[in-house]
Amino acid sequence: MTAGSLGSQGFAYWAVGAATLLALFVASLFVGVGELAIGSLASDPEALRLIMISRLPRTLAALLAGSALAIAGLVMQTLARNRFVEPSTAGTAQSAALGILVVTLVWPDAALGWKAAGAAVTALAGTSIFLMLAHRLPPTQPFLVPLFGLVYGGVIGAAAIFAAWHLDLLQYLEVWMTGEFSGILRGRYELLWVAAALVVLAWWTADRLTMLSLGRDVSIGLGLNYAGMLRLGLVIVSAITALTVVVVGTIPFVGLVAPNIVSRFAGENLRHTLPWVAGGGAALVLACDIIGRLIRFPYEVPVGTILGVVGAVLFLVLLLGRSSND
Amino acid sequence: MTEVVMQRALVRHEGRLAMMAAVAVLVGVAFMTIGLRGNLALVIELRAVRLAAMVLVGVAVAVSTVVFQTVCANRIITPSIMGLDALYVFCQTALVFALSGFGFAGIDPRLHFLGNFTAMTSLALALFLPMLRRRFDLTLMLLTGVVLGVLFRSLTTLLARLLDPNDFAVLQGTVFASFNAVEPDLLLLAGVITVACVAIAWRARHVLDVLALGTDTAIGLGLAWRATAARLLVFVAALVSASTALVGPMAFLGLLVVSLTERIVGTNRHAILLPAAALTAIIVLVGGQTVLQHALGGEGSLGIVVEFVGGIVFLAILFAGGRR
Amino acid sequence: MRWLKSVLALPALALFLVQAFAAQIETARGPVIVGKTPQTLAVFDIAAVDTLNSLGVKIAGLPDKLYVPELAELKDGAETVGTIFEPDLEALSALAPDLIIVGGRSSPQLATTSRIAQSIDMTMNGDDLFAQAKQRLMAYGAIVGKPAEAAALASELDEALSSTRAAVKGKGTALILMTSGPKVTAYGKESRFGWLHSALQLTPAVEDVEAATHGEAISFEFLRDANPDWLIVLDRAAAIGSGEQNARATLDNELVAETTAWKKGQVVYMPAADFYIAAGGVQSTKRVLKTIRDAFSRTQ
Repeated sequence: MTAGSLGSQGFAYWAVGAATLLALFVASLFVGVGELAIGSLASDPEALRLIMISRLPRTLAALLAGSALAIAGLVMQTLARNRFVEPSTAGTAQSAALGILVVTLVWPDAALGWKAAGAAVTALAGTSIFLMLAHRLPPTQPFLVPLFGLVYGGVIGAAAIFAAWHLDLLQYLEVWMTGEFSGILRGRYELLWVAAALVVLAWWTADRLTMLSLGRDVSIGLGLNYAGMLRLGLVIVSAITALTVVVVGTIPFVGLVAPNIVSRFAGENLRHTLPWVAGGGAALVLACDIIGRLIRFPYEVPVGTILGVVGAVLFLVLLLGRSSND
Repeated sequence: MTEVVMQRALVRHEGRLAMMAAVAVLVGVAFMTIGLRGNLALVIELRAVRLAAMVLVGVAVAVSTVVFQTVCANRIITPSIMGLDALYVFCQTALVFALSGFGFAGIDPRLHFLGNFTAMTSLALALFLPMLRRRFDLTLMLLTGVVLGVLFRSLTTLLARLLDPNDFAVLQGTVFASFNAVEPDLLLLAGVITVACVAIAWRARHVLDVLALGTDTAIGLGLAWRATAARLLVFVAALVSASTALVGPMAFLGLLVVSLTERIVGTNRHAILLPAAALTAIIVLVGGQTVLQHALGGEGSLGIVVEFVGGIVFLAILFAGGRR
Repeated sequence: MRWLKSVLALPALALFLVQAFAAQIETARGPVIVGKTPQTLAVFDIAAVDTLNSLGVKIAGLPDKLYVPELAELKDGAETVGTIFEPDLEALSALAPDLIIVGGRSSPQLATTSRIAQSIDMTMNGDDLFAQAKQRLMAYGAIVGKPAEAAALASELDEALSSTRAAVKGKGTALILMTSGPKVTAYGKESRFGWLHSALQLTPAVEDVEAATHGEAISFEFLRDANPDWLIVLDRAAAIGSGEQNARATLDNELVAETTAWKKGQVVYMPAADFYIAAGGVQSTKRVLKTIRDAFSRTQ
């Protein structure tokens, strides 16, 4: 099924998608430890305050992180010309962890913003090196690239873990790297708007990114500034990953599952699939965060853990389903 | 004419093999003798146990990686990316979580070994055996393993957050392989498993040569490909599980060793490849340990260094190979 | 007064004579008889290093890192025998100690070090860390033949405890937190840090956390609703520098600002190494108690 045939039923799809997202959004506003009844919102200024300080930021953070990660996965898959890579399996997240560690060591008192900046720089460097190397691998073996990414991420991760282990910071690093929204409040997530801006940028350049996926020669033949676009894609992926890692930690599978599900019914044209991927990622993360808030109430189960389970199941269904269709 | 060429190649390979064996013996002797001090009888016994552990793990990792790669017809994958390492770490974390660090320390090592071994072998079999029924899809199997790895890692980080720093500290040593505290009892147990599996792999060396020709050719030559491959993978699972349960995860050792071996002997014949890979692994581990212990003074970190250096060397080889 | 001293000294002397030959002590894995007063000691448990040091015992073999700044100088003149996670058996063998003490983080190494010399596991694994700390102290006193000094230190500990208990009395509820970067975990009465609640009779702000022996991931909304009068905070990264800054930055937000603890400035930042690495050592326990006593005494 292509994007074209989607058009006839397009409105129905859009309506269902938007309604789902809206329902999750409202649910997220009213699930939490602090007491909050829907009816009290109009009468009770305290309730509104709680929404503004805690619930709305958390909900927005989940939406932003989910959509941004899904897009980062999509862009990365386009750049690497491979369906099965995502930032957390190709060294980006590990590089960001290394960055956090380095800034923590060199400058222990640094504000969160500086640690974020450090992580963003190392994530960018790590991802650039990955894509530079990945592009020189023979394209005849499609799973070479994800494999290369795994080993590459493993090496960087080993370096970070080794350093953290010796400094008695391993638990600190692991907790920080666990994807979770429990620490999100007004003033603690705004960096994610930058990620949202990058999503918009990705949408704006979607056509050129699609061309990029045709390969170097074809895209240059089509008049594309290949190197420039590649760099832009890199910046989008690295910055989104670094920002989400620093603000909420690593959330696995979003970048893998959302684009793969969407591409099954909406085809490969980025301009058509992009909103669906972003929405799908947002809904997935938000739903998992709501589950995480509920199963051990009033304590939290990190969204990274929930997605580790849900994402693994979804991805396996996707994989096995695809193989039995073939 | 061709016979002469083959004969020459064989002599060359055997020469290389003999040379590698000599180097392996040399590093072994160096490891046993340099810098002896203290209670000699005890120190020599300690070193002997550690040497035996390194030889055992080296052989197990090398043979399992070669067989796995041959069956999967791919020279750049390793059985440990199948989520086995992540499962190992998750099992240890869950144990510390349930029993506390102190309870974890008190587990009978034999029970612990068998528990880990069973858990990892079961997972590996669950991944490998569907091969028997379905049309074999390598990418599918690999990705399934990787996905399960991510799953176990997510669960591990949740538990790691809830542990108090002391219990976590007891745990963090299990993330990397260590040869320093191997129980002699376990060595025997792991040794029996390893020797049995390696013997089977050795007997199957000619079958492996046929498998290496590719699935279609192998079937054309009358080989029951699926049954053979599945049977071999069972032994791979046992080998990897035994070595990981003995010393801890070493994800990149197999990759490093096989890449190096191919460069050294340059053949696909398993009669040469299997022993050569095993010897390379022994040289890397024992040599690395000797250098770390006496030249660099960081004896506890062999597992980490092999991870790190192994990963980098592998990437370099992959990269160089990809560009050719 | 002199007669009192000699009366007290007599049983101590008798005890000493017996224990010079053999001492039965309680370890984490049951009672053990330590053969003779050991001359050469190797110690892998930081709390034990702290306590033995307080008893004036010279330790011959130490791990490469002691984590607690106050203990750093002990490394001078001591042999390095590996790390707390991996004892260097050859260095140990060269040292030929009479007794090896492991515990806590090095507890899994008991079987390994036993191959060199008699080893005892002195992990403090109960939730009543304070009673165990005293028990360990007395055991070390018996082993090294200094029971009188150990008894003196034990009474110092008791004194520190009772004065701290008096300081916290009637000052309200408390919640123990650990911060790691931007995230917060709460520890309850049954956890490793829970001894503060039981030994000091310090009311937990959330009774519920006691259900879990481990920490719980919590949100700031949870913190606000629990509304503790006191926050006892440990920063996980404190081992490498200014933990207080980091922990304060994490807690400084609009929801925590609504808690009584934050409004009244009743947030106690724990000395990290003393609170979790050397937990149960004599000096570190005294420092932990002093931190709490000082903080609670400042308010009415």
